[in-house]
Amino acid sequence: MSKKERISSTLELRGISRNFGPVRALDGLNLVLAPGELVALLGPSGCGKTTALRIVAGLEVATSGELFVNGERYNGVAANARDMGMVFQSYSLFPNLNVSENIEYGLRARKIGSAQRAKRVAEMLELVALESKAKSFPHQLSGGQQQRVALARALAIEPRVLLLDEPLSALDAQVRSQIRDEIRRIQLELGITTLFVTHDQEEALTISDRVGVMSNGRLEQIDIPDVLYNNPASTFVANFVGTMNHIPTIASGDTVDIFGKKIRVKNSKGVNGSVSALVRPESIEVTRTSGSGNAKIITRSFLGASSQIICQTAEGAVIQALMPSHESGDLHPGEDVTLNVTLSEVLVSHV
Amino acid sequence: MGTEEQCKMASILRISSLQKWLIISFATLLGFTLFVMPVIASSIYSFQKPGGKGFSFISYTWLLHQDGFFASMGISLKLAALAGILNISLMVPTMVYLNFTGQRFKPLVDFICILPLVIPVVSLAIGAQNAMPSFLQNTQYELVFFFVIIGLPFTYRSLDTALQAISLKTLVEASRSLGASWMRTIISVIVPAIRGGITGALFLTIALSIGEYTITSLLHWETFPTWTVVASQQNLLGAIALSVFSFVGAIALLSIFALFPKKSARKVEVDQ
Repeated sequence: MSKKERISSTLELRGISRNFGPVRALDGLNLVLAPGELVALLGPSGCGKTTALRIVAGLEVATSGELFVNGERYNGVAANARDMGMVFQSYSLFPNLNVSENIEYGLRARKIGSAQRAKRVAEMLELVALESKAKSFPHQLSGGQQQRVALARALAIEPRVLLLDEPLSALDAQVRSQIRDEIRRIQLELGITTLFVTHDQEEALTISDRVGVMSNGRLEQIDIPDVLYNNPASTFVANFVGTMNHIPTIASGDTVDIFGKKIRVKNSKGVNGSVSALVRPESIEVTRTSGSGNAKIITRSFLGASSQIICQTAEGAVIQALMPSHESGDLHPGEDVTLNVTLSEVLVSHV
Repeated sequence: MGTEEQCKMASILRISSLQKWLIISFATLLGFTLFVMPVIASSIYSFQKPGGKGFSFISYTWLLHQDGFFASMGISLKLAALAGILNISLMVPTMVYLNFTGQRFKPLVDFICILPLVIPVVSLAIGAQNAMPSFLQNTQYELVFFFVIIGLPFTYRSLDTALQAISLKTLVEASRSLGASWMRTIISVIVPAIRGGITGALFLTIALSIGEYTITSLLHWETFPTWTVVASQQNLLGAIALSVFSFVGAIALLSIFALFPKKSARKVEVDQ
């Protein structure tokens, strides 16, 4: 089996459930990863994403459901026989072993000869650009370096699937985006099927081929980042991914009234009464009015190419808008403005 | 204002440093009279010729020529080493299990391990001996099992503290996911990580075993402590020489164990 074939496996979870006593942490999760695909599981803490990852790794046992790697059933396979590379949240390097020894640990367990081990360690060190740290001990490395070694160690065994359990959450912001991009580069270079668990939507959206949003042990929606952002399937996904305005309004029939404009409701057809319309900041247009508008500007923050404008409507709702900076230069705090929604249909949630 | 306050601070410091000095000198004096002086006095005394005139090794040569000196010491060291090894090989996997997946059994095992301190030695000796298979009852190796039992309270705590100081769960899971068996995980990841705790547990078990008198005596076996009691009844100077010898021996053993973890720490620094 060539390296590429071995590393680009399919991973399939079929109706995986897991109960912890009376709590149902995972509720019939179905998920298929194509060879070489990076899929992120995104969700708030307690949504079951980590449990799903741990079941794939063999560190947790599913209450029901089946797991397949390359079509082979993996349910009863022990964690140490699964050939899965896993990167943990933090502090998972063996403190008594130096960087090289950490990387070759999995190779030793596989009884691979020392010449081959040394070759593989050198390759891995080059991959994560840590050749100079080969003889350092974990406590002498920074958090980012430690996670790169952990990644190299997980990849050294040529795993069938790479599992990332919030590998960036213990790092500070700057290092985080750097390691994030490095993970994606290496993942694409090796073409390794990867399951990535995170609670950070930015992390998930930036490096994944597809993102699965989870809530209460179920997959709410799984799609490419663009669709997830622009066309969320549920109000949960809409709220969890990206920034969202909740505009209080009244629904009648299939439409809601937003800033005096009738807009079609995408979900909960036929709903009547008080609802919140979910509108992204970039779908709101702020224009100056000579007379009285429907809102007042509270602040405008310059963010570079775009600017964030926070307004308050006559009814008291605070609305966030995102506009190109060159179009919003003449908007000043305290001014009366007119808000407009540039959407043809909208998601609503009950209040 | 500033200088006034500084003066005040300085005077407070002077008084407190005086107090500190007093406390230190009192402690030194106390330690000297109660501990160092008897040791020095008995050392000097043990090098005296019988009758009180001149310097000689006679008490020590007498000691070495006593029947059973080397034999009993050899037995003690052998039994203690076996007890230490058995205790560690039993307790390391047990403590790893209790701290990893067996959390709910921890209070029970904790309770069992504390029992040797609570149960009177006589009942422990007689009761446990009756429970042993008869082929063990007839050899001195039965003592090994008693020594393991009396070491349990200390081993439990020493290993538990060491295991709680490391991120056991992550290390075990990392090792398992890399393809290592449980055996490899314990030997090449956990044992080095809790080396200090293991050394401590091993030292305590060995020290307790070498010095154990009551059980050995109740079961009529001859080890170094029981031999000492018999031998010292014949010769006063010899008995003192014996106690000085045991003391120096204990210090030597202690130093060897104390040096173990330091050696590995130094290795890390050199590699830097």
